[in-house]
Amino acid sequence: MAAASTLSALRSLVAARFPATERRPGNCVPTGIAAIDGALGGGLAAGELTEVISGGEGCGGQLLTALLLAGTRAARQRVALVDGADGFSPDAVPADALRHLVWVRARNPGEALAAADVLARDGNYAAIVIDLRGLAEGALRRTPDAVWLRLRRAAESRPAAILVQTEFPLVPAVARRLVLRMPRGLSHRRREQAELAAQATAEMVRGRAAAAEEMAG
Amino acid sequence: MNYAVLTVPDFALHALRRGEPGLEGRALALVTGEGRRAAISQVSAEAAGIAPGFPATLAMARCPGIVLRVRDPGAEVEAQRLLLAAAFTLAPRVEATAAGACTVDLQGAAEARTEAGMRSRIAELSAAGLPARVGAGETPFLAAWAARRAEPVLIVRDSEAFLRALPLDFAEPLPAHAEILQAWGLRTFGDLTALPKAEVGLRLGREGEALWERAAGRASRVLRLVEPARSFAAAWTYEPPVESVEPLLFKLRRFAERIALELRAAGFVAGALALTISLEDGSDHRREFRLPDPGADVDSWLRILQAHLDGLRTTARVGGARLVATPARPPVRQGGLFDTGLADPHAFWENLARLGAVVGDDRVGTPAVADTHRPDAFVLGRPAETVPPPEPAPLHPPRGLVLRRFRPPRPVGVVFTGRPAEVSGSIEGIVRAAAGPWRRSGDWWKPGAWAAETWHIELGTGEVYQLARTGAGWRVEGILD
Repeated sequence: MAAASTLSALRSLVAARFPATERRPGNCVPTGIAAIDGALGGGLAAGELTEVISGGEGCGGQLLTALLLAGTRAARQRVALVDGADGFSPDAVPADALRHLVWVRARNPGEALAAADVLARDGNYAAIVIDLRGLAEGALRRTPDAVWLRLRRAAESRPAAILVQTEFPLVPAVARRLVLRMPRGLSHRRREQAELAAQATAEMVRGRAAAAEEMAG
Repeated sequence: MNYAVLTVPDFALHALRRGEPGLEGRALALVTGEGRRAAISQVSAEAAGIAPGFPATLAMARCPGIVLRVRDPGAEVEAQRLLLAAAFTLAPRVEATAAGACTVDLQGAAEARTEAGMRSRIAELSAAGLPARVGAGETPFLAAWAARRAEPVLIVRDSEAFLRALPLDFAEPLPAHAEILQAWGLRTFGDLTALPKAEVGLRLGREGEALWERAAGRASRVLRLVEPARSFAAAWTYEPPVESVEPLLFKLRRFAERIALELRAAGFVAGALALTISLEDGSDHRREFRLPDPGADVDSWLRILQAHLDGLRTTARVGGARLVATPARPPVRQGGLFDTGLADPHAFWENLARLGAVVGDDRVGTPAVADTHRPDAFVLGRPAETVPPPEPAPLHPPRGLVLRRFRPPRPVGVVFTGRPAEVSGSIEGIVRAAAGPWRRSGDWWKPGAWAAETWHIELGTGEVYQLARTGAGWRVEGILD
């Protein structure tokens, strides 16, 4: 235990002191939310899992998906959405933002993670969104760590950036975990999405920035 | 070289083995006759100490693990079709010479390319369970004799030298002539052709002269040509019916190998595959797989078929199956300068099939909003090969948070005072603010008429929900997230 914590502390120290040495397997995929992109150093890192928690309902997770779709559409990149609770609404985003999307409508965590495993091994996607919000917490918590480890390993050898959307911290040993907060309320319904995204905040709870804060503390 | 002969030694044995799972690597022998007269006719290399002609009982005593089978005419027909398909990939003029042998007229074909093709076909046939040999020479006879000596490919370039060393029985003399030639001390073609042809003719007649001609490599014959396959299908039955996917996949691979070769021989690839599974209870399960990237790669086909079969549950055992390939012209693809197509098309389409097996084929694809105002109406289509350039930005950019749907919509109790004032049930609370209604209706001219009144409500917690009032009452359709 002591050795593990020492190793973890050493990793954090290296990450905080020498950010340039941290492994960045490839390009980033910007999410369109400045707070997230800033915290991640440009966007979702290719070949890595990034977990974004939009805890509780109505905290911007769906807007994040929509903006990611818009950004990748502009770049003509292919995106897959594993929709764990089948909540994606095609009529809620512009029709043109769907043409590069492969939507997988899962029914439960098992289906969602099995589909994610297949997609993570495919080399044709720039980004894969695994939306696990709305699924039963108990079922998600029962997911063996080995499933996530396998997914992480699969992602490492492929060019896709993998975004896992959750309502609570879920992915063990994830490279980066952020908590997304978005202005809520009916008064914002007439504001442009880009304007809303600019007001979002993203708190890094695991990763380089978190490590740096830890060190400073 | 003008002719090639493809041949499979012990053809009936190999045809049987490739058609039945579990025989690979085992000592196997074919038996003719019944009861005490049962004797071995062909025997596999694994059956050490057994030779053709052995009584079956002796074979079982000498090799306890040996599997004895009688010939399977169906398997032989299938193997012969595979062999013919391989031959047709070399040249269009092919003769089905005998069971397990076919002769190809190569006249006019480029030698280097043909030789590479022959080696490639031999490797493919071997992988498909038919250890074939190929011989090539100036005449059909020479090619056939070369095939008998091939390991596994023999191209005869110096005919005289090759013929001189061949044993006389290759030329198939009449039994009476064979005895005479034996008595004369002639053993090889060279021994015979060293004698004057006229003198041989004087003593053995016209048959003797013909034998001399063959031994000298001067004889030829006209091929009886056969037509290449016009349909690309295979059907088979299981007796007894099977319960697992393995026997089905085994047969599928065998038949797919033959169909793929037939397609290639005809200059086609498969545009679609149709699999029909006949169940024991008389019903059928049929599924068509459109191949977005048409090809004749058996492994790719099998991955798509397996992905489907792995997720298939039938109500009864499988009594038979049929596989049909729809021919299509091979695609010609040229990458564009700004092309953002698929980096690995095979992986993409195979993985889509896998995803279909995980969540269902109707739950994977690229969504498009349906041409209707009905809420949550969309279609899932086939993803595009190439991501098209984006359209100009919309005049009115998207506004507000994005709807995350609850499927199916959840019933909710609503206290309505000109607008929703309080909700209870699947969501609870006092409505702090509401926007709406947006009224929509459609299909009023037909039985499926619908109408909905949509509201957005904000609860005390700040969450914004989308409510809809229909004939069935109030539902919460989702959350603006």
